[in-house]
Amino acid sequence: MSVSTRRLSKELTDIKNHGTPVGINLLSSDNFEEWFLSLEVLGETVYAGEVFCLRFRFDSQYPISSPAVQFVTDDKWKAPVHPHVYTNGHICASILGNEWSPVLSVIAVCVTLQSMLASCKKKELPPGNDRYVRHAPDNPKKTRFEYDDDTV
Amino acid sequence: MKVHVKNWHAIAQWRWDTGAADADDDGEGDVCGICRVPYEGCCPSCKMPGDDCPLIWGECSHVFHMHCLLQWIGTSSSKQQCPMDRRPWVTAERKVDRTNNAR
Repeated sequence: MSVSTRRLSKELTDIKNHGTPVGINLLSSDNFEEWFLSLEVLGETVYAGEVFCLRFRFDSQYPISSPAVQFVTDDKWKAPVHPHVYTNGHICASILGNEWSPVLSVIAVCVTLQSMLASCKKKELPPGNDRYVRHAPDNPKKTRFEYDDDTV
Repeated sequence: MKVHVKNWHAIAQWRWDTGAADADDDGEGDVCGICRVPYEGCCPSCKMPGDDCPLIWGECSHVFHMHCLLQWIGTSSSKQQCPMDRRPWVTAERKVDRTNNAR
């Protein structure tokens, strides 16, 4: 059994025993390579009434290596309009990149992204969205983001 | 009356002395933040807990399975930082607190 399988089964047990934080729900965790969770921001925010879907992809070195996390964009789901979220669902957040730590977890990432959305005052696309989306790799981990804005 | 002990079974339990207050022991014990396995268990690459899969203490007071921490520190993305507080990882020399044997 790989390191990631052991860690993810522990996280799954924890979710089954203690539940998920408000606004976060596990949609699918059929295997230890890919999970889907729904995310909504409660309270009075610019995303009131919207529900988003997060896709997590894990390699066998998780949690030493970070998961690939993005919003799902398809017929059913849309990415939130946010200055750090590209329309293809890729997210520019330091904890998914150079500030990843192996003590983080799937739920910890969801909570961070939830608060990233909650603190947003104005729905705006990231600068250079179209250009990024046109050339973006399938896996957001292959993108080297620059984290220059801590305000939202 | 004379009692003859024919045989007896000794049972022992061991724990790492992590120096943490035992007051917050909720029965689940403390786990390594990286693999989420209890300190008294072993890291995912080991089969036997104990001296072969020891703990490592940082000067920042954070504790991990040594193998888990070294695997993290061995990656460039760790920037040699403690996973808990992102301070530069400095392994602490373990001093056994002999004055507090009550633990």
